[in-house]
This record gives sequence, structure tokens and C-alpha cells, in this order.
Amino acid sequence: MYDADVIVIGSGGGGAVAAKELGELGLKVLVLEAGPFYGNSKWRNPNAERGSEWSSSFDDLDIGTYKKIYSRYENDMNDVVSGAFRFGPADRSRTPWHRVMRQKGDIWQLAGVGGTTQHYWAQSPRAFPSAVDGVWPISYSELIPYYEKAEATLPVQFAPTTPKEELFYYGAKKAGWSLLPTLDVTTPGYRPNPNAILRTNERLMDPNYSMEQLNNMEGCTLQGHCVNGCTSGPSVDKIAKRGTLVSYIPLALKTGNVAIRPNSFTIKIITDRDPKEGLRAAGVRFRDTWTGEVGELTARAVVMAAGCIESPRLWFNSELPYNYWVGRGLTNHCFDWVGGVFDEKDLMSIMGLPAVYPYMGHTSGARVDIPGIGIFQVSCLSPGLMSFLTYGFSEAGYDALNPPEPGAPWNVRGRTVGPALKELMMNYSRTMTYLLLTDDETLARNRVEVDPILKDENGPIPVVHYMPSAKTLQRRDRLARYACETLKLAGAKTIIRSDTPFSFMLHLESTMRMGHVVDTNCEAYQVKRLFIADNSVHYNGIGGPNPTLTTQALATRTSEKLAQRYFS
Amino acid sequence: MNPAVSFPANAYSYTIATFRALAEAIVPFTPSMAEYGAEQTAGAVQLHVHEYIIWELDHSLTLAVGFYPEVVPLAYSTAALLNSGASQMVASVNAQFAPSNGTVPHVPFAALSPADRVRTLSRLERLEVDLRALPPPFRNDGGLVKFIVDYLNRAVMFGNYSEWPAYGTTRLETPTRRRLEGFPVGWKQAGYPGVSLGYRALRGYPLTIIREDGGYTIV
Repeated sequence: MYDADVIVIGSGGGGAVAAKELGELGLKVLVLEAGPFYGNSKWRNPNAERGSEWSSSFDDLDIGTYKKIYSRYENDMNDVVSGAFRFGPADRSRTPWHRVMRQKGDIWQLAGVGGTTQHYWAQSPRAFPSAVDGVWPISYSELIPYYEKAEATLPVQFAPTTPKEELFYYGAKKAGWSLLPTLDVTTPGYRPNPNAILRTNERLMDPNYSMEQLNNMEGCTLQGHCVNGCTSGPSVDKIAKRGTLVSYIPLALKTGNVAIRPNSFTIKIITDRDPKEGLRAAGVRFRDTWTGEVGELTARAVVMAAGCIESPRLWFNSELPYNYWVGRGLTNHCFDWVGGVFDEKDLMSIMGLPAVYPYMGHTSGARVDIPGIGIFQVSCLSPGLMSFLTYGFSEAGYDALNPPEPGAPWNVRGRTVGPALKELMMNYSRTMTYLLLTDDETLARNRVEVDPILKDENGPIPVVHYMPSAKTLQRRDRLARYACETLKLAGAKTIIRSDTPFSFMLHLESTMRMGHVVDTNCEAYQVKRLFIADNSVHYNGIGGPNPTLTTQALATRTSEKLAQRYFS
Repeated sequence: MNPAVSFPANAYSYTIATFRALAEAIVPFTPSMAEYGAEQTAGAVQLHVHEYIIWELDHSLTLAVGFYPEVVPLAYSTAALLNSGASQMVASVNAQFAPSNGTVPHVPFAALSPADRVRTLSRLERLEVDLRALPPPFRNDGGLVKFIVDYLNRAVMFGNYSEWPAYGTTRLETPTRRRLEGFPVGWKQAGYPGVSLGYRALRGYPLTIIREDGGYTIV
């Protein structure tokens, strides 16, 4: 009578977890994913040909196809218009899917199996307890067993030290921060990032093993391509950086209960009205992104995990019941980005090395956590990405037209262009950069809605509005001062604060908030049998920590609750 | 015909002149930097980054206009935005068209000095312009103007300092048909060694999670 027990919409950081957990509980699960499936023998040319429709076997995973697509080249992978990592159809001769944003910024979300975890940096910290207890409808201790399960499954491990982390720790210690040997952060301090990255290959420092050999063995090779697509590993399920494409998706397929259909954009949630339950989810309508054909599938429950923009869009476009909070309360950690340029002689005296080597190791390996304010984490990228984030992307305009006031903790604020840019970029290998994540106040006015006129082939398109509060901006400014202080104490000669556009969307959260749109089991109040398992159910921005692990813990819990409620 | 060869003939010279002027203002040709190595002199124009910007703008948007989705090219209208901004700036403040650039009479943005092009961008993103006088789709849409002007800055940098220029004669092909034809100049300028299989760069572990018996400890 039904096509499946559960349909999961989206296979990113949350949907893949739901698929695996529900499959392990013995439920029959169908996963619909809008983007391509990389690393699967059913789609050998996923960006140029339609290939098959479904994959339901672990044996379909194919490391050769994976490594062919994952070229590690930053423009090929991360160009938001045409890259293998983009929010758009698998067919790279077509344009991306558009979102309207009438302000400076950009949205880093990816379509495809694994979703945005394909290029995330794998930071997997827990929420700050102080941002959950007494604030969320559930307590931090309620989350702990699910955190532990997700951490063990991925698995999560503290990051190793490479030169840039060594330099980061040197500055952090000089600034008086102390080491935090914990996963539950209640006081300020520094620590290696808890990352979903396999431990470094034990043979890495053994010259008897070639890099080619090491790259085909299990364990991280410190290749520095977290953001541009990790390739260390002997098989898809053993790739070192544990995006869900290589962690939860292989485990989901191993259950034998899960089938995944990429290239399928869900355009409507189908409901019916049950005399006892009332309005409830009964299936989905989707559109094949290659052929344009529309199909329908039915199930006894639906898990929506399309992300903080597409989940509310799907709610609106499905004409589900009105709820003021659908799409509202968007948080984004109101990022900033700072950098420090070092002299070779200083680096020699600190580390015995002539450079920072920003391209080695985990993309981000260490952090300072400051509950109540946010986090700054050492984060270093390949030159194209680094150049625009450090020198080309700013709320503040051009540094030369509006230089910092005397005594400011940075020498440059805003964009640098012209000969000065070229001179700074010559120092790329001696430049250390940090990403700053602000404890972002949740505001109803920050929201996702759909455009009343503009449509694409999947329906009315999303419009994103985000303007941080004065409190968020004060915290961000304090964070920038703390971060620049550690750069200065480490010996940086030139310090740059980019003043990143507020709407640089990396950590979107809380657009379908628990307690407003979904209950504490993450089931929609107004639509029974419709659950949500992405960042959108977070009540807030969890205090600043990177959100993926919290989504994965919640998706684990939601799967358990769903099975108990409707399948026990 | 190879699109990399045919591209200039197909595009409006107006559009190309405008984006060349943009690329030059952000990552200039710098002969004086030859002392740091020959590769340091090349600017974004020498690396054809203006063509990257045009390609990206023309391949970034599809909307359902009427019954079918259609690609909406944005390069020409964005060039018109920059030129409108340049004309408005010259009319309202004390900027002058650089005499040496008089060969592009209908491209006011390109006729400005590089510093005045940056001032034009700054005035546009601060909305210090008459929004009613801008070309569509930017007319009366300050949010879109802010977005696109910021985008143009970072896109020139990403084009210049990523591997895109090294796609050489295939650079304007659809992405799956591009092939590297050399080592990227922007990566040489930055001292980046290129993509890697790994680095023997391990210097220790400050903390380790040990999992056993269903629990964990941190050492």
C-alpha cells in the first residue's frame, strides 16, 4: 500500500543520519536527494549523464569514481556557480538554483548525497550547555547520549597539531587561555577541534611509505583538502574526512533497508486527513532534475532534512498550515574572518620552520571557545578561497578608502585591492587565518520566505533576510579583538580583519524551531507524521559551536522517537 | 570552434572592456614586482579573469519566465551597472576620465583611473547613486546592487588565485570539459605548491579521545 515506511528528504548532515538510524531499526526507507551521487558506480559521469535512478547496495560505492570527481582543485570543486560542490543540479552545464539575497553575502550549501558535509571542515563540537539548558525545550543532558552515539559513529577525534595549530596554540597560551580537555565546554579556553576526521595514518611520518600508498590507506594524510574534497582513504566508506557521504550513507546502505535516489528535487509534501490524527504527511512529489518528470512516492512518515532554506520553502510551496515561525528565527553565527602575516625569522624562532604552511593538515584544527561570546578557530584555505575571504569579502568596504582608526587591533579592515593585494598574497604561506563564530541572538525578523513572483523549475524560490542584532554585533566585535590579540602575541606583523558580510551563510540554523514549528520529538505540531532532521529544528545557534554534530545527535534521537511512535 | 577563441567575438566589446577594467583595478599588472619573480607581474587581465567574470555572470541564474525556465545572462547588465556608476560619479564628484584611456569612449568605467574605478564600486555598494538611473535588473534594487558589487570583488580574486586561468584554451568550456594546461600562475604568485596527496607534517596530539566499554575518556 505504501512505497516505504519512511521517506527522507535530503541526504546531508541530518538526512543521512536519519536514513541510517531508521534503516538499522528495520524500517524501509527511501531517500530523495536533489543533487548528484558522487562515488557510486551507478553514476560514473554524474555531472554529465543521468545514469541510474536508485542505489540501494553498499557494493555500489566506488572509490575510483569518487576520486575522479574529487579533484581537490578549488575552482573545479568550490566555484559556487559551476563547481562540483554547489547548490544546483548535477548537470554542470546548467546554472545553480537561485536564492534571492538582497544584501552582501553568499550561501555555502551543497546539493548532493552528503550535502554540505562534502566540503564542511568536519568540526564536530557539542553545543555550549549554557545555550541549551533553560533555553531549549529539552535539556543538554537529554542530548548527551545522542552526542556520544554520533561521535562514536562518525567518529570524532581531537585534531592533530600541524604547524598552523602549533602557532595558534603559541598565541593562545600567550594570551592567557588555558587548555580545555573536554567535550562539554562551560568555561573559556583553547583546545584542538573535535573533528569528524579519522586519526592520522600511523605510517605518515615513515619515509618507507610513498604518498601514493598513504593516500590509499586508512587514516588522514594531512593533505589539507577538507574544504576542497578529502581523498585520503582506500574505499568510499573509509575516507578520512567523515562527511555523511562517506560515513552515514555507507552505513545506511549496509542495513539493506535504505534506497537513495539522487537527482530528485522534492517539490511537495503530500498530506491526507485522518479522522483520528488530523492532517498528516502521506508522501512526496518530486521532480527528476535530468528529465523534468514528476513522480510521487507514499510512506507512513516523512522526514524533512532539506536544510534551513529548503525545508521552510518546501513547507510554503506545499501549502502546509500557516505558522508564524516557519522560516523565522534564522541564525548564522554572524561570522568574521581575521588573518595575520608573519615574518620568516619569527616563525623560525617559534617553530623552527620558515612558514605557517596554511595548506597542510586539517582545514581547521584548533579553537578558542568563549561561552557567551563565541569561538575563533584557526582555519586555512587554498589561495583562491583564502584571497577572497581575507581581502575581497567585506561589510566594511575598501580599507584604503576608510582606514582603521589609530590604536585599532588590526592594521587592515575591509577589502584590499590593487598592488597592496598582490603584495599581501605573496605572503600567503606565512599568513594564518581564523574563522570567528558569534553567539548569534535569535530574531524573528531573520527569515526565509518564498518570492511572490520569481520561480524556478522547482517552484517559487527562497528569499533570505538576515540582519544581526546589536548584541550579536557587540559579541562579534569582542571576538575579533580577542582573535587579533592572539595573532599579535604570536608575532603577526600585519593583522587583517575582513569584517565579513553578515549574510555569509555557512551555519544556518533555527528556521523551523523546536517548540514553535516542531515538538520536542521534532514532529511538526500541525502535520502529524512529518518530522524534521536538519539544522532548522535547533532552538537557537547553540551558542556559536559548529552545528552539524548537534543536528546529527538530534536526527539520531528523532529517528528513535519516530520509530517508537509509529512503528513499535 | 574553440569557445576560448570565439569568446571575444561573441561577447559585446563593451562588456569585455568593462570587466577588463574591473579586473585590472583589483589585481593589476605590476611590472615593478618583477624583482620578486617574473610570475609576480601578471595581473588578472593577463590571466583572462575578466572572461571568467563574464562566464560566471552569464551562467548563474535560471528563472521560470512564462512557462519554461530560461537562463538570464547578467554580464551585460552588470557592465551597464558599473558604467552607470562611473558616469554618475564623474557628474557628481571631482573625478576625471584618465586621458590615456580615451580609446574606450563609450565605456566610462574603463575610462577612469584604477583608483577611481574602486571609488565607483565603493559608491555603488554604499548606494551613493541615483538608483532610478541604474539599468535593470538593478534599478531601484539597492540590495541587489550591494550583493553584486561585493561579488565582483571576490570573484576577481577567486578567478585570479584559483586554478581557473590554468584551464587555458578550455577555460570557457562547460566545467566538465576543462583540462589543466599548466601550473596556475596565481598559485605560483601565492607560493602554494598545488593539490597534494598528503604532508608529513604531524607535530603531535594535545588531546585524544579513547573510547571503550561504551564510554570515553580524554587523555
